[in-house]
Amino acid sequence: MPFKFTRPLILTLVVSLLAVAASAQLRLPEGYYWKQLPNGLQVLVIENAKVPLVTVEIAVKNGAYTEGPEYSGLSHLFEHMFFKANKDYPNQEAFLKRTQQLGALWNGTTDVERVNYFFTVEKDSMVADLKFMNAAIRFPIYREEDMKKERPVVDGEFQRLESDPGSQLWLEVQRHLWGDLVTRKVAIGIHEVINTATPEKMMVIKNKYYFPNNSLLTICGDVKHEQAFAEAEKIFGDWANSGFDPIQKYPIPAFKPLDSSTYFVKEMSIAQTPYMWFSWQGPSYLTDSASTIAADVFSTIVGLNASKMQQALVDKNLASNASLSYNTCKYVGPIDLFVVPNPEKVKECYAEVMNQIKHFADPDYFTDEQLQDAKAIRLRESIHRKEKPSTLANQASYQWCSTSLNYYTDQDNNYQKVTREDIARYVNKYILGKPMVAGMIIKPEMNKQINAGSFFTAAK
Amino acid sequence: MKNKILILFAAVGLLNLQMANAQGKPYDMTVNGVKVIVQPSGNEIVEVETVIKGGVQNYPADKAGIEALAMNALTECGTLRHDKNAFKNQLDKMGATVYGVCGKDYSMIRMNCVKPDFDNVWALYNEAITIPKFDEKEFQRIRQDAINSLKEQDSQPDAAIDKFASKVAFAGRPYAQDPYGTVDNVSKLTAEQTKAYYQSILTKSRMVIVVVADLDRSVIEQKVSQMLATIKQGAPYELKKSFFRVYKNSFSSEERGLATNYIEGITSGPEPGADDYNAFYIAMRIFYDKHFLYIRTRNGLSYAPLTQFSSGSTSVAKFMVSTTQPDKYIEVFDKLVDTVKMEGFKPDEVENMKMTYLTGFYSRQETNQAQAASMAANEVLFNNWKRAITLVNDVKKLTPEQVSDAFRKYITNIVWVYQGDTKKVTAQNFLKGVDKGGNPVAQ
Repeated sequence: MPFKFTRPLILTLVVSLLAVAASAQLRLPEGYYWKQLPNGLQVLVIENAKVPLVTVEIAVKNGAYTEGPEYSGLSHLFEHMFFKANKDYPNQEAFLKRTQQLGALWNGTTDVERVNYFFTVEKDSMVADLKFMNAAIRFPIYREEDMKKERPVVDGEFQRLESDPGSQLWLEVQRHLWGDLVTRKVAIGIHEVINTATPEKMMVIKNKYYFPNNSLLTICGDVKHEQAFAEAEKIFGDWANSGFDPIQKYPIPAFKPLDSSTYFVKEMSIAQTPYMWFSWQGPSYLTDSASTIAADVFSTIVGLNASKMQQALVDKNLASNASLSYNTCKYVGPIDLFVVPNPEKVKECYAEVMNQIKHFADPDYFTDEQLQDAKAIRLRESIHRKEKPSTLANQASYQWCSTSLNYYTDQDNNYQKVTREDIARYVNKYILGKPMVAGMIIKPEMNKQINAGSFFTAAK
Repeated sequence: MKNKILILFAAVGLLNLQMANAQGKPYDMTVNGVKVIVQPSGNEIVEVETVIKGGVQNYPADKAGIEALAMNALTECGTLRHDKNAFKNQLDKMGATVYGVCGKDYSMIRMNCVKPDFDNVWALYNEAITIPKFDEKEFQRIRQDAINSLKEQDSQPDAAIDKFASKVAFAGRPYAQDPYGTVDNVSKLTAEQTKAYYQSILTKSRMVIVVVADLDRSVIEQKVSQMLATIKQGAPYELKKSFFRVYKNSFSSEERGLATNYIEGITSGPEPGADDYNAFYIAMRIFYDKHFLYIRTRNGLSYAPLTQFSSGSTSVAKFMVSTTQPDKYIEVFDKLVDTVKMEGFKPDEVENMKMTYLTGFYSRQETNQAQAASMAANEVLFNNWKRAITLVNDVKKLTPEQVSDAFRKYITNIVWVYQGDTKKVTAQNFLKGVDKGGNPVAQ
């Protein structure tokens, strides 16, 4: 018996110490408040009274990165099942009825490193919203019959992706970019795994990841933090800590760097306009957070109308669109260059894309003025990002899962500190001369005319 | 530059401390003969939308695409003061957006920036509207891009099915036209023609301007007055409204190599200003939830079952779904509509939807752009921008009977279209109809 008392006490003590340590170092924007409950649940309150609404969100460190092939797509199915049935609302009709009674705008998303659920309601319904979230996240009910109905729904989401040329190309690029670990980067998953999922598998996910110490509860909107913290503790305070860190106990395997570049051309009958996609394995927040910041600034530079890339491709009518992006991840984020070529100049467009990539690290690839402009744009983007209060929870929790709340807080300032050297280091380390995956999707008739495979290859 | 950065940092900080009710009272004024609607925003963001009324009513079918191309040319083909690159480079420096978009009822030229950049961005906005150059070389480029974009849209199943539905349902009406045109139309358009067309629709009589920003009334008046000084008055203009009625169910299909099948149905909806317009709006919102429940929750037939009251000069109800079981879908759909028509909506369903509407109303108040767009649409379609604000109270007064009656009245025969595997669908099942317990539309 003593053991039963001691273990939670030790856990509570450890968690409390961690909370003290964490809070001592934590930096937050003005109007943001953070607290860790004794059970390890981190609660973030964002006071923003622009409109009389409150958004309650729970983000869980779960998603594609936790999935081996046998569970591929099941974090996503789990997310769907969240909205099905729980102890207070025993079927989806009752669940949906409750969302209607609350007048809630709601949804859930499953990404690579985060699953989140959110309900936006009128401010006086905050407590009811918290209770609703509590019932759904802690006490779900998985029935075979419900799962049977939901499988084709998730599969339908998959089929919609497969009906879209851009998504088809993206999926194929992912297979080459991540190899054996592709399931750790594609949240939509594998048809067969989704179609054979069982309630037992749902419970496996729940018992691995759905604990307060692996979750962030955010309450954002027309609220006062004292009241929000008190209600959160009252409602979620008895949610039991797992006693382990799920990401430590079930570690994410290391992504194997690409050995060599891959080039492929995929035909699709509805791809009226060809697309090109170039991807590299980029920086990880865990090992190179500085490069994650440099990556965003470089992407902004390359997107400037005056940039060499936009002038060479879009201004010269070789492409309608050319955009470089980096997706911030804790474990190897992808760098993507997406190009919509002029269908009449596909070959010339491809040659110019390769030429641009070759020069990314040249000292004169961008000017000092362009660097300054890119930083100023990031600052203005920050103003726009903060305009809509109900999206703030989503933004903060993304960083909580993939980086940290300090990263979120410091981001605007850190963009301003990026130097030419930081960008050169990023480009040289992750792009220039590094293996990449290059894919093109094209209509068979057009491919017959231009024979894309004859030139869409490594430069000779 | 450094001072500007410091001001921007201050603006970021201000947004973290958004106070309740920071917005001021909206008002309108007439400047040089044009109605200007102003919503003080209580934040650091400036949104301006200049509306040109008419949309697809402005041009014949064989010129569809010309207005979209003109709108794009305003910011992509230079002005008399700046060539395209100089114009876009300046915008980039301010992280601002200035662009034209077009729709079936009106086009709009938008600008969005942060307040410290307002004067400089306004200068570019003013140029784009009043002295666009339509440079020949740049025009060739955007025309090619427009053609690529049309092909791209045809590759997107959701966009493709909606276009197909419009083409079939509105055949013979202006609404059948895609404002972005066809590859054939757009290929033939010249810079000169497009410029002349733009000048023909750029009249004060077609314009409305919406500003959502914390700017002094005198500043807005002075800037707008200066912009309008060179724009001609034009003949009085009124957007024509027309009622859409489907006389019998129909089904049209196209074979497409897709992983699933896309279906869309179109039927009647009340014209803007009709007595039962608000009731039908709420009816369709409740029906969205029911459709979701029956199609997705109970039967697992689709990931994305959607219904919509598409409001415009021709208002219609739409039903959209992607499914591998089209015959099962129409069976469930028909039964659902029959049930709703027979039983009507329950009082608690209507009350709950009023609550959801309120949440959505506040959600739209969160951004300057959403507020401006709502005011612009209400002014064009209802001649009453204040409806964007007062609707929330009007909705509260609706009764379950009004909401149910509106649904019965308008949901009658349906034009169905289908893209996907045509072997998987039985056309006859879509022709059976849903017209039990209803009242035929009498308009």
